Amino acid sequence: MSAHAPTATQPALEATSSADPATSPDAALRAREADVARDVLMRLSHVGKDYAKIETRGGRLRLVFDLLRGKGAAHVFRALDDVSLTLARGESLGIVGENGAGKSTLLKIVAGVIQPTRGEASVGGRVGALLELGAGFHPEYSGLANIDLAAALLGLSPAEIAAKRDAIIAFADIGEHIRDPIKQYSSGMVVRLGFAVATALSPDILITDEVLAVGDESFQKRCIAWMERFLDDGGTLMLCSHSMYHIQKLCAHALWLKDGRVAQYGPASDVTRAYLAYHEEKSASAKSAMPLVQAMAGAVYAIQAFEASADEIDQGEALTLSGNVYSPDGRAPVVVVGIVRADGTPVYGVASDMDGVAMEPSGERRFAFTIAFPALPLAPGKYWLRAHAADPEGMRVFDNVERALFVRGRTRELGLVHLAHRWHDGVLR
Amino acid sequence: MHMSARAAIADIGASKRARNRALFAHFLRRELTSRYLGSVTGLAWALLAPLALLAVYDFVFTNVFKATAFAGTSFLAFVAVALWPWLATQEALMRGTLSLPGYAGMIRKVAFPHEIVVVATVAATFALQFAGYVAVLVVLTALGQPLHLSGLVVAIPVWIVVATAVCGIAFALAAVQVFVRDVEHVLAPVLMILMYLAPILYPLSIVPENLRTLVAANPFTWAVARLRDALLDGRLAPAWGDVVAVAVALFLFAGGRFVFRRLSPHFEDFV
Repeated sequence: MSAHAPTATQPALEATSSADPATSPDAALRAREADVARDVLMRLSHVGKDYAKIETRGGRLRLVFDLLRGKGAAHVFRALDDVSLTLARGESLGIVGENGAGKSTLLKIVAGVIQPTRGEASVGGRVGALLELGAGFHPEYSGLANIDLAAALLGLSPAEIAAKRDAIIAFADIGEHIRDPIKQYSSGMVVRLGFAVATALSPDILITDEVLAVGDESFQKRCIAWMERFLDDGGTLMLCSHSMYHIQKLCAHALWLKDGRVAQYGPASDVTRAYLAYHEEKSASAKSAMPLVQAMAGAVYAIQAFEASADEIDQGEALTLSGNVYSPDGRAPVVVVGIVRADGTPVYGVASDMDGVAMEPSGERRFAFTIAFPALPLAPGKYWLRAHAADPEGMRVFDNVERALFVRGRTRELGLVHLAHRWHDGVLR
Repeated sequence: MHMSARAAIADIGASKRARNRALFAHFLRRELTSRYLGSVTGLAWALLAPLALLAVYDFVFTNVFKATAFAGTSFLAFVAVALWPWLATQEALMRGTLSLPGYAGMIRKVAFPHEIVVVATVAATFALQFAGYVAVLVVLTALGQPLHLSGLVVAIPVWIVVATAVCGIAFALAAVQVFVRDVEHVLAPVLMILMYLAPILYPLSIVPENLRTLVAANPFTWAVARLRDALLDGRLAPAWGDVVAVAVALFLFAGGRFVFRRLSPHFEDFV
């Protein structure tokens, strides 16, 4: 399935706005019947979630009394507000947003871990969820025992569990560690096992929260391959990721959450573009507010702006990339710039220190870089331009910023790039 | 379509119940097997600790206080009959209260009825202690202590009633403990006081008249009396007090579960 070519089944996804199923039982019934016809697996109508805020020592006791009397908490933080959406079988939805925007809360509501404070959430079918990098494992028990537990949680019989166990162990591929307690696992191993469990139990909806951020390259590839096959076989996916590349690759549609509300909803390419644009504006406005940047920036080298002379070029046209890097200690960092194809195949990458280029300071603890490609011979298609910030030694890469590039052209040549060449008549002597 | 939807919902309900039963069996097995995992003495500890306690009580009360006059029986049998159910109650309340944080990872990430955790913890404790109870009664009988093993016919339902009530109290304590961590600190001294306010080490008959209602008001007093009637005297006939006890146990269970259900939707954020 392709990220920028929605198939006929997918436009069924829309933000519900006109009909409000919560208002009358009749309308609710009609909505349900329509859902059955469309094979809707999940419907959220005006869902909101508040978290209690404890401000004083006695606040906890007060909260217990309020909850016992059936009242809500007195002081709340609105994690999610007025989110409506439906997801039908076979659809794939990406969720993007900044940290604390409510992504995990939304996934938890769909997974049934928490109940919405407002609105209604109905989810049908078996849900396989990987929330906050774990499948709800018990730290004291071995990987094997946790596989059995996860299967029991999904309602599998002992015979079904036994039949799936080998497949899960094989997919997780963590060797003898499967017999060790989970608490001794590295975070990568926990995710491997979690993904293996969540996927082997043939869920109707698979919910994953940043699984692809952990785990090594080969495991990421296996995860993506699995998810693509799952979607091809009619599976339903909700994917939460900070990687626009993964969202565009796996999801037909995307939802952008901002401060607990839906900021945008639509085809994945539109939403991710708008989301990236928002971040560019944000870092651009941060440029003019230097003291704020200094207060906010952490102790890591970070790309603060990454711009291109064009988002779409013709094959062979020039392209200039420029940007700013923040250096926490004021030393000149190393910038790595690379181009990958939309499917992740690397085309080219170069670091500033390879060419012996020293970064020029552009402000306090800020360094500017510009790199020009006079004639970019990329084959027509979609690419990601990547910029990474590394420490001055070029040892540790801290940041990864991406932006999309479309190369226009109508060539019938094969491969990734156009290589300069010449045909000769007859035999070359 | 309406009918099929309803049938589908019923189907989901049935599969959920089956799942919850499987989950309970899973938790119970883990509570039973993991409790003494990593300790050298293993399961034997479940029996050794109460036996040591019983030996100390026997020494103090039989040899130091010369308390053998109680109810015409040996003090050893008199205490053993009531001590185990109390130890089970005490342990189940402590473990039940602290049971939810051990499952925090699951509560935060998986949808399942949190009650199962508390029920499994309480059930595992009572099952282990009851096994120890039967073993001790059999050994004491073999050693010639005046016990009626036929009284187990009454002892089993009495244990079930006590476990039901304890489960209800544990529901409430466990749920509140998630929000207010003081519960566990208050619980230990309260359990100590309640133990001496129940006629476990002494018969109700020697309590001064004016204090007797206070001791009799301890819900555990009923269990002690029924167990002594059955196991020491061989009196098996049910009494009206039993109906009251069952009603109280069911009330505690339902009340505790009400508290638990009100609070459990918010565990995810606090556990």
